Amino acid sequence: MVECDFPECTTFGSVIRFALELEKGAAGVYEELSKEPNAAAAASTFTALAIAHKKRGELLEFTRQQKLNEMILEPIQDMKREHYLIDTKTPKGADIKAAAKFAAKIEETSSKFYLDSAMIAKNLMAEAARIMDKLGKESLANKAKLEAL
Amino acid sequence: MALLSEVKRDYGKLKNYVNGEWIDSTSDKVIDIENPSTGEIIGKVPMSSADETKAAIEAAHEAWWAWRETPPITRARVFFKLKELIEQHFENVARIMVQEQGKTIDEARGETRRTIENVEVAAGIPSLMMGYNLEDGAAEGIDEDAVISPLGVFGAICPFNFPAMIPYWFWPYAVSAGNTYIIKPSSQVPITQNYLTKLVEQAGFPPGVLNIVNGSHEVSDTLMEHPKVKGISFVGSTPVAKYIYKHSAEFGKRVQAQGGAKNSLVVMPDCVLDRTVSNMLASYYGCAGQRCLAGANLVAIGDIAEPLLKKWVEASKKIKMGYGLDESVNMGPVVSAKAKKKVIEYIDSAEQEGAKILLDGRKAVVPGYEKGHFVGPTVIDKVTPDMKVAKEEIFGPVVTYLRMDSMDEALDFIHSSPFGNAASIYTSSGKSAREFRYKCQCGNIGINVGIVAAMAYFPFAGYKDSFFGDLHGQGQDAIKFFTDRKVVITRWF
Repeated sequence: MVECDFPECTTFGSVIRFALELEKGAAGVYEELSKEPNAAAAASTFTALAIAHKKRGELLEFTRQQKLNEMILEPIQDMKREHYLIDTKTPKGADIKAAAKFAAKIEETSSKFYLDSAMIAKNLMAEAARIMDKLGKESLANKAKLEAL
Repeated sequence: MALLSEVKRDYGKLKNYVNGEWIDSTSDKVIDIENPSTGEIIGKVPMSSADETKAAIEAAHEAWWAWRETPPITRARVFFKLKELIEQHFENVARIMVQEQGKTIDEARGETRRTIENVEVAAGIPSLMMGYNLEDGAAEGIDEDAVISPLGVFGAICPFNFPAMIPYWFWPYAVSAGNTYIIKPSSQVPITQNYLTKLVEQAGFPPGVLNIVNGSHEVSDTLMEHPKVKGISFVGSTPVAKYIYKHSAEFGKRVQAQGGAKNSLVVMPDCVLDRTVSNMLASYYGCAGQRCLAGANLVAIGDIAEPLLKKWVEASKKIKMGYGLDESVNMGPVVSAKAKKKVIEYIDSAEQEGAKILLDGRKAVVPGYEKGHFVGPTVIDKVTPDMKVAKEEIFGPVVTYLRMDSMDEALDFIHSSPFGNAASIYTSSGKSAREFRYKCQCGNIGINVGIVAAMAYFPFAGYKDSFFGDLHGQGQDAIKFFTDRKVVITRWF
């Protein structure tokens, strides 16, 4: 299990922190699934997704450093942390179907988080919103890929 | 939510940076640097003497000519290096600011970004300080040129509210233009500038080009009075800005002195209410109300007054206070116990004058941070233009709510203030917006924007008692302030 520390989403910084925790959690889950003997046939897919989620984390770090502007710091009051929590306790001995189903749930939650964040960020910071939107759509595509396994 | 880690718990006694060396002050006067969220002492700052300041001025003067002769493109390269170093140390710079000033990590990250933007703009110096010429400008066969030249040593006397950014409104422009510089950081928040100056040192600026002298009025007075200092930049309260302006001028200096503010945000009945409320929250409560661009008076026009007030109080109640190293915190403390006392006295005065406290932040306590200087979001209704809280700068998270019948009445009220820093209007009418920006006598105007913070390539403006001088910080104004125009008329026989 990957330990994640999901904050309340009340500021731009805490939304990004939440997103970083999501990415850390997802990458950790995929790394564990890639080592699962019963799902060995999908190991390369899981490894690729682990790498992709780490890269998403780097993009988010970059966004936090480059896009945050002193004048756009409106409090965020409409995002409930509990709606976006993910389970990172990887099922032991899972076969491909079970592993993919578990991971797809994470991607579904991630996509909801990012698309909701994008809607809120749209009014605050259009560039950050575009990145959130992109990540949300990527998660949806990942989900579809996993469901096809 | 776990706190982000502090860069250091204790920064020890700070040194001055003079002529490329970190020097212990010889002064035995030191003051504590307090973390306003925790009440802990995180360092000590020396109150340097006049002699130490004079030594820094001499070092800057000594370094000037060689730096002035360094081609602008070479000077610019050192700024590119500095930009890279600040990017690498971005998070540390931001976290130190949270520790010593009390702002939230998002606010500190935003300030760090704005600091870097000033370096980026100043790195464009080869284009920014080009002169101009006219063939046959004087007469046939006689050409005329205006050359932009640096002047020598400049100094800045800096405030506590933006420990990183405000010195960078000035010194990168001065130094990239070929001058040398002395910064006196605020003695309440000197650590950030100390850290940034270590990056300046690594970037490769020659010794004496940038110097830091910690201290108080003895340092300031020496900078203002010394014959080798050509100009002074200042940001702070209006009484001090006035003094700096007068005193420096007596000694023949150029001066740009930014003073206090009492900014009004005017909300029209045709505003987009939800977006307006959300945007204004950052203006009134951001940096705990300690921005010179912070909203102070909230002026509701006509029928919007009741629905706006209801939403405003609801939203204000949700502001989460705490130590800014918790990323979910919306608002930190004010900078000191003294600042908190002053804010509370203003709220008391409003009550005594008959205003109604709808949301009272005077007794705010953040569990785990009982020694912090927290003042909660405060909303004062039934404020009238003659009340002290409507006229004077409070510099805390206090919203004084006024009701008026028209934009013209609001403009009359804004113009009755001695300050002219910023004002905003919230409306969906282009006509109202146009009229407001045209008529309003303030230096920074917001249209559906509550914090009118000019980007690095625009001047940070200000009218009336909010600014003394004629050329502002940042952008082309800064280049003009730190240079002079030399006219050359040429005829070849």
